Amino acid sequence: MSYIEFRAVTKRFPGVLALDGVSFSIPRGTCHALIGENGAGKSTLGKILAGVYTADAGEIRLDGKPIAPADPLAARQLGIAMVHQELAFCPNLSVAENLCLGDLPLRAGGFVDRAALLARATEMLASIHADVDPEALIGTLSTGKEQLVQIAAAVGTGAQVIVMDEPSSSLSAGETHELFSLVRKLKARGLTLIYVSHRMSELFELCDHITVLRDGRHVATEAIAATTPSRVVSQMIGRELRVQTPAHLSRPAGPERLRIEALSSPTKFSNISLSVRAGEIVGLAGLVGAGRSETVQAVFGLDPAATGSVLVNDRPIAPRSIEAALDARIGLLPEDRKRQGLVLGLNCRENTALASLPVLSRLGWVRRGAERTLADRYQKRLRVKAPSLETIVGGLSGGNQQKIALAKWLARDCDVLLIDEPTRGVDVGAKAEIYALLDELACEGKALLVVSSELPELLGLCTRILVLRNGRLAGEVPRADFGEAALMRLMAGVDHASAA
Amino acid sequence: MPPFLRTLFRFQESGLLVVILVLGVLLTAFAGTVRTPKFEKAADGTRQRVFATDDQGNRSPAFEAKNKFLNAQNLAQLAKDTSFIAIMAVGMAIVIISGGIDLSVGSIYALASVLGAMVLNHFGPEGIALAPLAACALGALTCLGAGALCGLANGGLIVALGVHPFIITLGAMAILRGIAFVTTKGQSIGGFPAAFRELVRFELGNGLSVVPLVIMVLVTVLGWIYLSRLAAGRRVYAIGGNEQAARFSGIRVGRVKLGVYVLAGLAAGVSAVLSLGYYGAATSGDGQGYELNVIAASVVGGCSLTGGRGSALGVVLGALIIQMIASGIVILGIDQNYSQIIIGAVVIAAVVLDNVNTWLAKRRLTRA
Repeated sequence: MSYIEFRAVTKRFPGVLALDGVSFSIPRGTCHALIGENGAGKSTLGKILAGVYTADAGEIRLDGKPIAPADPLAARQLGIAMVHQELAFCPNLSVAENLCLGDLPLRAGGFVDRAALLARATEMLASIHADVDPEALIGTLSTGKEQLVQIAAAVGTGAQVIVMDEPSSSLSAGETHELFSLVRKLKARGLTLIYVSHRMSELFELCDHITVLRDGRHVATEAIAATTPSRVVSQMIGRELRVQTPAHLSRPAGPERLRIEALSSPTKFSNISLSVRAGEIVGLAGLVGAGRSETVQAVFGLDPAATGSVLVNDRPIAPRSIEAALDARIGLLPEDRKRQGLVLGLNCRENTALASLPVLSRLGWVRRGAERTLADRYQKRLRVKAPSLETIVGGLSGGNQQKIALAKWLARDCDVLLIDEPTRGVDVGAKAEIYALLDELACEGKALLVVSSELPELLGLCTRILVLRNGRLAGEVPRADFGEAALMRLMAGVDHASAA
Repeated sequence: MPPFLRTLFRFQESGLLVVILVLGVLLTAFAGTVRTPKFEKAADGTRQRVFATDDQGNRSPAFEAKNKFLNAQNLAQLAKDTSFIAIMAVGMAIVIISGGIDLSVGSIYALASVLGAMVLNHFGPEGIALAPLAACALGALTCLGAGALCGLANGGLIVALGVHPFIITLGAMAILRGIAFVTTKGQSIGGFPAAFRELVRFELGNGLSVVPLVIMVLVTVLGWIYLSRLAAGRRVYAIGGNEQAARFSGIRVGRVKLGVYVLAGLAAGVSAVLSLGYYGAATSGDGQGYELNVIAASVVGGCSLTGGRGSALGVVLGALIIQMIASGIVILGIDQNYSQIIIGAVVIAAVVLDNVNTWLAKRRLTRA
């Protein structure tokens, strides 16, 4: 018996078809996994159900009745709630105030009834056995605790369907365990859960059914018992993973380009030393919070508290200075391209030229011909799919945006490229192109230091992988010893080896 | 749609031109006529009144009927009034595009005016004799220097303290006007060298004072070059569009911001020079409420207060629209006191229209 039914749901964003006629159904009282690669459309689908987005075409039925929640509040009234990764609350208000924000208990004259507020919040938290102080400010809670509060809010307002978007992505092992037992309890109460994740092991532990999306299309919906992780992986990818050895591996590495000695930054990372030679792609792996992005940002001079030294081609560069890093021909492709990598309101040409303005201008005038030539060259080389050089970057798909963000540093002709999450939010086709491009850059003699949360990416691409754990270098794995298990052991620490 | 029309339609400022044309036609239609004395050129080249002689041989001064809006004198007046605001608006546009705001332009204008006035008075008819051109130059330079320094102080505080520009320039708005008041003890300062007024008020033909117009066009062109042709302008758009991404691209954000406020101050200084020449005196109360008109011109002219969007030509046209509305209120005989209400409403309407436009463009992009 289907409780939630998606019928040919379609959603288009500027430049991408996020969902293309997705149809499947979910029985009442089950936990349904939604899996797919980055950009497959799994979060989009969850957000449409929860009223964050509205579908362009198609229909959603809840208990047989067609619904089209126009906003999250409308979805709430239908009994659908979403647990977000992003901050869903006002950080400067207390847990109790946030829980009751839509319906504050009032006394005559509009005064908040603090006792009733506290009592109601305590009750909501107790109903899901959440150990959270209702008077604490939301901003002071850990991500895990905040998620519990979100779930309490959902359950407390009578939600029958809860969409969880990557709930475990920033939780500790203990918090994840707590979350799992809560999910089972909610299911036992008859709630229907939609669990969006790409962590295979969790899905197989927790869910009853699984739906695989690929490039916005529905691939399969099966009972968990009837499928296997490797089957799901091949459904996600759509073809056998063709292991293609990057070309740079067969060439001898050149001279040392980048050397970092005892780089430290209080509370972020300490005593990190590494070196990257020309023609090498060195991976930097680690769990969330291990200090990977912080390290590459410090190399680029963005950390005002960093100590230690950075040498490019054996010459030390001034610490804590972006200008010095740029002069030494270091480029940084940042982790969050929308916030750090691109000016979304400017066009492809202007974004490509952004880091090269000193080279492109004479006496302060931008040489427009040279600028256009440069932007055009990299747009062609990276095969950016955009109507023209004058297209506003904000309207491009994730993959094309990432290419423009990369083009900015290629245009600058950097010797050392620090690449933080090369393919986050990029569709499958563009991913392969970006891998091929990184390989090509290494073959040209550039030194690449690549940070990634996706181990298969590093395993496929890198000459060797360095592992960070709690801000320290935990080890180095040469290509000969590559293996997910060995890396996970290093990333999580030996104690957790059995768990991983 | 034929291609050239489409190009015109896409052209960012075409909407503003349409608004100006419509406003002009409406004002002409509803303005009515006014009787003005007729003049003619005498044999010796001076202007003299025309007299009509009736049947009895009585001479009486002749009058002619002119459209209240569409006549050379009114248009010249409109152009002059626009130029004061438009020049400051170009500076303001640069600040707004960088993602900032400058509430102190009116006060900078006042302080620059009174300081310039004091210098000019010093070398005026009752002061020390100096070559007239040198005195004029000193006075003008004082205005420009004072404007730029005030801008430097604004920018320096904003960058060094990391405080939101709204707060810093709100404080500066009060402080700078206070300094102007204390310096002048509230007195009006006049008595400039005659050459200064003659220079600024130089007229072409029948009462068309060209100097403010020429300066306005010059400032617009310079602003356009700065914003669209210089690397510095590109950096301003980048910072306004996404400050963090600009920093990650190696742009010295603090330095660019500093420059932006200096330019806004300098623009206020330029307007101060023109007003000194035009009115021949300055008081600390000059330019009160100019920040409203200048910000209104920028916003109507297409600047986004969130930064990253706007153009020099756009804000000048925006200033023209604001001024046409202000003078339209006078011409149509509407109570002066309504002008602030109307200008405020126009600003809100412009922003709402812009939002609708952005929304439409986004929808077109999604549908495509």
